[in-house]
Amino acid sequence: MRRDVRAKLLERRSLSPDASLLEFESDFLANELRPGQFTMLRLPGDEGLLLRRPYSFCDTDVAASRFSLLVKEVGRGTRALARLVPGDEVDCLGPLGSTFTMPPEGKRPVVVAGGVGIAPFVGFCRALSSASKVAVVLLGGRTSYDLYLREVFEALGMDVRCTTEDGSVGTRGRVTALLDDALDAETQLYSCGPTPMLLKVAELAKAKGIPHEVSLERRMGCGMGCCLGCVVYTSEYVRSCTEGPVFDASVIAWDRDPHPL
Amino acid sequence: MKPDLSVSFARLHFRTPLIAASGTFGYGTEYLDVSDYEAIGGIAVKGLYLEPREGCPPPRIWETPSGMLNAIGLQEVGIRRFIDEKMPRLRELGPTVLVNICGSTVEEYQELAHILDSVEGVHAIELNISCPNVEEGGILFGCDPRMAAKVTEAVRAQTKLPIIPKLSPNVTDITVVARSVEAAGADAISLINTMPAMAIDVESRRPRLANIVGGLSGPAIRPIAVRMVYQTAKAVNIPVIGIGGITSHEDALEFILAGASAVQIGTMSFVDPSVWRRTLDGLEAYCERHDVEAISALTGGVLS
Repeated sequence: MRRDVRAKLLERRSLSPDASLLEFESDFLANELRPGQFTMLRLPGDEGLLLRRPYSFCDTDVAASRFSLLVKEVGRGTRALARLVPGDEVDCLGPLGSTFTMPPEGKRPVVVAGGVGIAPFVGFCRALSSASKVAVVLLGGRTSYDLYLREVFEALGMDVRCTTEDGSVGTRGRVTALLDDALDAETQLYSCGPTPMLLKVAELAKAKGIPHEVSLERRMGCGMGCCLGCVVYTSEYVRSCTEGPVFDASVIAWDRDPHPL
Repeated sequence: MKPDLSVSFARLHFRTPLIAASGTFGYGTEYLDVSDYEAIGGIAVKGLYLEPREGCPPPRIWETPSGMLNAIGLQEVGIRRFIDEKMPRLRELGPTVLVNICGSTVEEYQELAHILDSVEGVHAIELNISCPNVEEGGILFGCDPRMAAKVTEAVRAQTKLPIIPKLSPNVTDITVVARSVEAAGADAISLINTMPAMAIDVESRRPRLANIVGGLSGPAIRPIAVRMVYQTAKAVNIPVIGIGGITSHEDALEFILAGASAVQIGTMSFVDPSVWRRTLDGLEAYCERHDVEAISALTGGVLS
């Protein structure tokens, strides 16, 4: 069951010069969203924007009827969202899309995230934590500013390892450099972030025969499976809003993916 | 007394004058949990060919001011899978079913019409002769009055179902094409399909869409569509279904007053799944406020 709910912004926390964590109130979505899923968000009364925008939810707090979104300002939609102040309301259609699957017994979860790609993993790691599982969380960014919410992962008991391209925090370089050390035959991989990173993770996972789930962000028109605007190629075009956004990475035909964002 | 919001024309009955536009409502069931289907009078399903089609490579969509640019390229499941897998649920939903068909040749349209003629629950055929994003057929048929007539006539010979050619705005004089398909046996006309359009990312210097050009929909094209519906309704004696950027009952009324017997909603259904109920309630309130007993009485009612 999906619904279009009006959610009030309760709190906005700045995470970096261009990224914020927005906490919204919705009993329905806080209860219904599952790790990996997203909502199509609309700013009521904003005549300048037509289509809704998809956002993977970051975290939920069922007791407080809250869910959060991580928003980095990159275009018109994200800028409009970043201008909201507590008390403002948005329309959220959801929950939408596929979910991350919990690692099977004996498998060790490894999460690889670049930039805002960490968003869907906060809720996922909370679910792992509740199941007494510890994931290795590899976070990558250009600078320390881009390593959003790493203290949350640490508080959840995850094994967090960071890289920055400028060396300001953690290992200097790209997050994929940490992968080799973190992978073995018992690993289950999860990734989200920029396409070049995802591609590298997918290649490594494939070479080592490691199961790998990937969350793909694509431009979407409806989020409901109707506009067919958000497709990715497997053996045919499939909808990232409906069959995804979380896919088994081995089914994606990466060579046919023009990473349109 | 409540105003009558149902409409009947071209041997079809619609419980409301609001029809889901082809390509925006899948095969009819996608919005069951979030939209009020009681407010929907008809559903025009995603355009179908004889065989499944892969569609255009992504990026396929881009937002422009008050508009949505798309080049999906008619990714669809083919007529057989549609009949076997989609039709059983679609015919149970309630709204009148318009099956939108497309072919690369006249013969393909003919065969599709022949197949659909005996399918239970199909109420009408909408002829897609206006898709801007396919290499053959589509808009090529719709921009040439003789070809548009040829397709309509060929389909007419294959089916007793009402035939509704869907016209492209990408013509010099819409009334020429409209009269041409009327003479060829069309029962009604729907217009407009998307407007061929383009957007470029100046940083990368690449087109926003992989297909380079696409079709523009949404409120940006509404005044063009209203004008074309007005001109078409004056030029033909068959009913017109208005399409183009409808977001509210006021927008729907513009089309109805311009001469539409019903309207289709597309892009706005992506934005607001409650557009159906909201628009229908607005139409009802308008009729009450203006002492209109039946919405059909407003068709062509613009004063001049």
